[in-house]
Amino acid sequence: MNYTVVNREVQIGDIYLTAVTSSSIFLIGDADVIQLASAFDTPPESLIVGPFVPLTPKGS
Amino acid sequence: MKRLSVVQLLNSKTFLLSSVLQIGDSREINARSNVLAVQRQYELFYGSEGEVVFPVFTKPIPTLDVPMSVQTYRLHESPVISVRSIYLIAASTASVVHIGSTSTVKGETRIKHIRQLAESTTFREASIRMTKDG
Repeated sequence: MNYTVVNREVQIGDIYLTAVTSSSIFLIGDADVIQLASAFDTPPESLIVGPFVPLTPKGS
Repeated sequence: MKRLSVVQLLNSKTFLLSSVLQIGDSREINARSNVLAVQRQYELFYGSEGEVVFPVFTKPIPTLDVPMSVQTYRLHESPVISVRSIYLIAASTASVVHIGSTSTVKGETRIKHIRQLAESTTFREASIRMTKDG
Protein backbone atom coordinates (compact mmCIF):
# COMPACT_ATOMS: atom_id res chain seq x y z
CA MET A 1 0.00 0.00 0.00
CA ASN A 2 1.27 3.41 -0.92
CA TYR A 3 0.44 6.52 1.03
CA THR A 4 1.41 9.99 -0.11
CA VAL A 5 1.29 13.10 2.05
CA VAL A 6 1.75 16.56 0.59
CA ASN A 7 2.65 19.15 3.21
CA ARG A 8 1.89 22.58 1.88
CA GLU A 9 2.55 25.85 3.67
CA VAL A 10 1.78 25.83 7.41
CA GLN A 11 1.55 29.15 9.21
CA ILE A 12 0.17 29.25 12.74
CA GLY A 13 -0.66 32.42 14.63
CA ASP A 14 -0.82 32.31 18.43
CA ILE A 15 -1.12 29.13 20.51
CA TYR A 16 -2.50 29.43 24.04
CA LEU A 17 -1.98 26.36 26.19
CA THR A 18 -2.68 25.85 29.86
CA ALA A 19 -0.79 22.63 30.46
CA VAL A 20 0.87 19.61 28.89
CA THR A 21 0.99 16.74 31.37
CA SER A 22 1.19 12.99 31.94
CA SER A 23 3.72 11.83 29.35
CA SER A 24 1.96 13.75 26.57
CA ILE A 25 3.74 15.67 23.84
CA PHE A 26 3.25 19.07 22.27
CA LEU A 27 5.13 18.90 19.01
CA ILE A 28 5.87 21.57 16.48
CA GLY A 29 7.56 19.58 13.78
CA ASP A 30 7.45 16.22 12.08
CA ALA A 31 7.43 12.74 13.56
CA ASP A 32 7.43 9.24 12.12
CA VAL A 33 5.75 7.28 14.89
CA ILE A 34 3.90 8.44 18.01
CA GLN A 35 2.68 5.87 20.53
CA LEU A 36 1.09 7.20 23.69
CA ALA A 37 -0.81 5.23 26.31
CA SER A 38 -2.26 5.98 29.68
CA ALA A 39 -3.98 4.11 32.49
CA PHE A 40 -5.92 6.12 35.01
CA ASP A 41 -7.35 4.17 37.93
CA THR A 42 -9.86 5.97 40.08
CA PRO A 43 -12.91 3.74 40.30
CA PRO A 44 -15.66 4.49 42.82
CA GLU A 45 -14.06 1.86 45.08
CA SER A 46 -11.00 4.06 45.31
CA LEU A 47 -13.05 6.19 47.62
CA ILE A 48 -12.34 4.89 51.10
CA VAL A 49 -14.60 6.04 53.90
CA GLY A 50 -13.29 5.18 57.31
CA PRO A 51 -10.44 5.72 59.71
CA PHE A 52 -7.23 6.85 58.11
CA VAL A 53 -5.40 3.55 58.03
CA PRO A 54 -2.26 3.43 55.90
CA LEU A 55 -2.65 2.19 52.32
CA THR A 56 -0.98 -1.18 51.74
CA PRO A 57 0.95 -1.11 55.00
CA LYS A 58 4.25 -2.93 55.31
CA GLY A 59 4.11 -6.71 55.29
CA SER A 60 0.70 -7.00 53.65
CA MET B 1 13.83 15.00 5.32
CA LYS B 2 12.05 16.76 8.09
CA ARG B 3 10.74 20.30 7.99
CA LEU B 4 12.20 23.28 9.77
CA SER B 5 10.23 24.55 12.77
CA VAL B 6 10.19 28.30 13.31
CA VAL B 7 8.70 29.73 16.50
CA GLN B 8 9.13 33.44 16.99
CA LEU B 9 8.08 33.62 20.63
CA LEU B 10 7.74 31.04 23.38
CA ASN B 11 6.38 32.19 26.70
CA SER B 12 6.21 29.40 29.29
CA LYS B 13 6.13 29.57 33.06
CA THR B 14 6.84 26.15 34.57
CA PHE B 15 8.45 22.84 33.71
CA LEU B 16 8.25 20.29 36.49
CA LEU B 17 8.36 16.58 37.34
CA SER B 18 10.71 15.40 34.59
CA SER B 19 9.11 17.35 31.75
CA VAL B 20 11.33 18.56 28.95
CA LEU B 21 11.48 21.58 26.68
CA GLN B 22 13.34 20.43 23.60
CA ILE B 23 14.44 23.02 21.04
CA GLY B 24 15.95 21.30 18.04
CA ASP B 25 15.53 17.91 16.43
CA SER B 26 15.59 14.63 18.29
CA ARG B 27 15.46 11.01 17.32
CA GLU B 28 13.76 9.08 20.09
CA ILE B 29 11.52 10.16 22.97
CA ASN B 30 10.53 7.78 25.74
CA ALA B 31 8.39 9.43 28.41
CA ARG B 32 7.12 7.44 31.37
CA SER B 33 5.40 8.45 34.58
CA ASN B 34 3.83 6.59 37.49
CA VAL B 35 1.67 8.56 39.89
CA LEU B 36 0.13 7.48 43.18
CA ALA B 37 -2.16 10.29 44.27
CA VAL B 38 -3.72 10.04 47.71
CA GLN B 39 -6.13 12.67 48.91
CA ARG B 40 -7.16 12.64 52.54
CA GLN B 41 -9.70 14.73 54.29
CA TYR B 42 -7.11 15.61 56.88
CA GLU B 43 -3.39 16.18 56.52
CA LEU B 44 -1.94 12.79 57.33
CA PHE B 45 0.78 10.67 55.75
CA TYR B 46 2.38 7.48 57.00
CA GLY B 47 5.89 7.12 55.66
CA SER B 48 5.68 3.50 54.54
CA GLU B 49 2.71 3.87 52.20
CA GLY B 50 2.43 2.85 48.58
CA GLU B 51 5.23 0.31 48.74
CA VAL B 52 3.06 -2.53 47.50
CA VAL B 53 2.63 -2.31 43.76
CA PHE B 54 -0.89 -1.65 42.50
CA PRO B 55 -2.05 -3.57 39.40
CA VAL B 56 -2.48 -0.36 37.42
CA PHE B 57 1.29 0.08 37.55
CA THR B 58 2.11 -3.42 36.35
CA LYS B 59 -0.65 -4.41 33.90
CA PRO B 60 0.68 -4.38 30.37
CA ILE B 61 -0.90 -1.82 28.06
CA PRO B 62 -1.31 -3.22 24.56
CA THR B 63 0.36 -1.18 21.86
CA LEU B 64 -0.72 -0.79 18.27
CA ASP B 65 1.83 -2.21 15.89
CA VAL B 66 2.96 0.08 13.12
CA PRO B 67 2.36 -1.74 9.85
CA MET B 68 5.55 -1.61 7.85
CA SER B 69 3.66 -2.58 4.71
CA VAL B 70 2.41 1.00 4.29
CA GLN B 71 4.89 2.84 2.09
CA THR B 72 4.66 6.49 3.07
CA TYR B 73 5.89 9.29 0.84
CA ARG B 74 6.07 12.76 2.24
CA LEU B 75 6.33 15.74 -0.06
CA HIS B 76 7.23 18.93 1.73
CA GLU B 77 6.07 21.63 -0.66
CA SER B 78 6.96 24.17 2.00
CA PRO B 79 9.94 23.19 4.15
CA VAL B 80 8.89 25.37 7.09
CA ILE B 81 6.35 25.07 9.93
CA SER B 82 5.89 28.61 11.18
CA VAL B 83 4.36 29.61 14.50
CA ARG B 84 4.11 33.20 15.65
CA SER B 85 3.79 32.63 19.39
CA ILE B 86 3.16 30.01 22.07
CA TYR B 87 1.87 30.84 25.53
CA LEU B 88 2.17 27.86 27.83
CA ILE B 89 1.63 27.90 31.55
CA ALA B 90 3.00 24.53 32.58
CA ALA B 91 4.39 21.22 31.46
CA SER B 92 4.39 18.42 33.99
CA THR B 93 4.79 14.70 34.69
CA ALA B 94 7.20 13.54 31.99
CA SER B 95 5.60 15.57 29.22
CA VAL B 96 7.55 17.04 26.32
CA VAL B 97 7.28 20.39 24.57
CA HIS B 98 9.18 19.91 21.37
CA ILE B 99 10.09 22.55 18.81
CA GLY B 100 11.70 20.64 16.00
CA SER B 101 11.27 17.26 14.42
CA THR B 102 11.64 13.79 15.87
CA SER B 103 11.31 10.22 14.75
CA THR B 104 9.83 7.95 17.41
CA VAL B 105 7.76 9.04 20.38
CA LYS B 106 6.67 6.61 23.07
CA GLY B 107 4.80 7.76 26.11
CA GLU B 108 3.14 5.94 28.96
CA THR B 109 1.52 7.23 32.11
CA ARG B 110 -0.10 5.28 34.92
CA ILE B 111 -2.09 7.03 37.62
CA LYS B 112 -3.71 5.60 40.74
CA HIS B 113 -5.96 8.06 42.47
CA ILE B 114 -7.35 7.29 45.92
CA ARG B 115 -9.54 9.50 48.05
CA GLN B 116 -9.87 8.84 51.78
CA LEU B 117 -12.61 10.49 53.76
CA ALA B 118 -13.41 10.44 57.46
CA GLU B 119 -16.22 8.10 58.34
CA SER B 120 -19.51 9.57 59.36
CA THR B 121 -20.15 9.41 63.10
CA THR B 122 -23.34 7.33 62.73
CA PHE B 123 -21.71 4.26 61.13
CA ARG B 124 -18.58 3.84 63.11
CA GLU B 125 -18.68 0.03 62.76
CA ALA B 126 -18.75 -0.20 58.98
CA SER B 127 -15.39 1.36 58.71
CA ILE B 128 -12.98 0.46 55.93
CA ARG B 129 -13.74 -0.37 52.34
CA MET B 130 -10.74 -1.35 50.30
CA THR B 131 -10.77 -2.79 46.83
CA LYS B 132 -9.48 -6.16 45.72
CA ASP B 133 -6.90 -4.49 43.53
CA GLY B 134 -5.79 -2.40 46.44
